[in-house]
Amino acid sequence: MNIDFSMVIPYLPILFQAAGVTIVITLLSQGIGTVLGFFLALGRMSRFPVLRGIVWTYVLIFRGTPMLLHLFFVYYAAPAFGVTLEPFPAAIVAMSLSTTAYNCEILRAGLQSVHPGQIEAAQAVGMSWPRILRRVVIPQALRVAIVPYMTNFISHTKGSSLASVITVPELMLTAQMIYSSTYRAIEILTAAGVIYLLLTSALTVLQLWLEKRLRYDERGLSRRRRRQLLLAAGGNG
Amino acid sequence: MADAPMIEVTGLAKTYGESVKALNGVDLTVQPGEVVCLIGPSGSGKSTLLRSLNFLEEPTGGVVKVAGRRVGFSDKGGQARRLGGRELAAQRAEIGMVFQLFHLWPHLSALENVILGLVEVRGLSTADAARVGHELMRKVDLAHKMDAFPEHLSGGQRQRVAIARALAMNPKVMLFDEPTSALDPELVGEVLAVMEQVAAEGMTMVVATHEMGFARRVADRVVFMDQGKVVEQGTPDEIFGTPKSDRLKRFLERVVA
Ligand SMILES: Nc1ncnc2c1ncn2[C@@H]1O[C@H](COP(=O)(O)OP(=O)(O)OP(=O)(O)O)[C@@H](O)[C@H]1O
Ligand SMILES: [Mg+2]
Repeated sequence: MNIDFSMVIPYLPILFQAAGVTIVITLLSQGIGTVLGFFLALGRMSRFPVLRGIVWTYVLIFRGTPMLLHLFFVYYAAPAFGVTLEPFPAAIVAMSLSTTAYNCEILRAGLQSVHPGQIEAAQAVGMSWPRILRRVVIPQALRVAIVPYMTNFISHTKGSSLASVITVPELMLTAQMIYSSTYRAIEILTAAGVIYLLLTSALTVLQLWLEKRLRYDERGLSRRRRRQLLLAAGGNG
Repeated sequence: MADAPMIEVTGLAKTYGESVKALNGVDLTVQPGEVVCLIGPSGSGKSTLLRSLNFLEEPTGGVVKVAGRRVGFSDKGGQARRLGGRELAAQRAEIGMVFQLFHLWPHLSALENVILGLVEVRGLSTADAARVGHELMRKVDLAHKMDAFPEHLSGGQRQRVAIARALAMNPKVMLFDEPTSALDPELVGEVLAVMEQVAAEGMTMVVATHEMGFARRVADRVVFMDQGKVVEQGTPDEIFGTPKSDRLKRFLERVVA
């Protein structure tokens, strides 16, 4: 059997469209999972034991069971509870539930890495808790969380291929459909692999950029911040 | 003095767990403009007392009043009610605090450290806040380090930024918890000099310190604590010249030797 990669060309538009679906379900679920994960992380650090317990149990369950199972569950088992979802929303729900659990733990690790003295200094100045969180805790927590966060993001991008099992027309399912009718598994799987690699490489580059941005002390003050601060002194700074 | 006291502490107690009595019935009154130094052996409760004054530590008994208002509670209607986060924050803004380990915010420049409270608490624009910040940075002799990040400052410079940060809020009282204990000996002087200047401008100050020279020179009153209690207090001359209690005598022998 001879390998001929040029046979992929006519299928590229379909593959790119499928990659678009992969991007959408990944970004949507990761976005939802980041917001929810952040609030769960706060809940996990709360002074109310019941709240901490609930979050702990959530993470135990959703980090401890396969995302494949979540997908099947939301799609096939949920109707038994009176909820019926189309493949696309079902995938968003299941993938969000799953990545929320990871993001919760990753963001919590970041938040808890901030020295308590940092918070006390802000309290002593009279800052309220939401402002302390936004101006003191989160900027420092991000620096710690960014590497594990992006690692999970990349892992989640690849994991989105599991949505194929509930017939979401994303990259993996589309590739399977093409090679099962053309019998060109090597060419098509290679093409799909390259597209996944491009997507995850984009995230890797994003991570490098974010890490650099968050290295606040090495980078020095941005020009915008410096201008804001110096203008005030009427130029004698 | 005819003025009402700036700080009034009565029967203050703080117990950790079942049995650790960090504070065991402390009474202390500080007049406006007075500089009070807290001395005493390690574990005597100096930090706990200071941290109770701005409610970073919640006392298990007693009452703290600063500028006539009870700290951490509202006494309206005779019933003590714990203050909510916002009210407590507003109260803390009136009380400056300087920590042994500085606790500067590492992601902000020195100037940004100084003005964050003005922007976030007082609601000033960055430009207005920076104007105040520039002045304070000059006052602590760091006009040339405004854009530097804490990482790139010496210990003494960091502590001076921390003092400027607390002063920026224009507090009624300044609390210092061993502000020079984490510094190399040659950097202690520059921080004490700034503190001396702040004291000379009439700030009410409570300073936990092991710098007996500073206490002697700058304090109006020295308070000796041991085992969660105020054992003896008086002018520096009285405390260092004619100590009465055995515990203070033994303590002074140890620190002066
Ligand atoms: N969070 C805590 N949990 C339990 N015990 C504590 C806690 N904080 C302080 N203590 C105890 O309370 C007592 C008073 O401590 P504190 O820090 O106020 O002493 P200090 O006079 O400031 O000592 P130092 O000179 O070492 O700073 C000590 O016995 C200490 O071990
Ligand atoms: Mg202490």
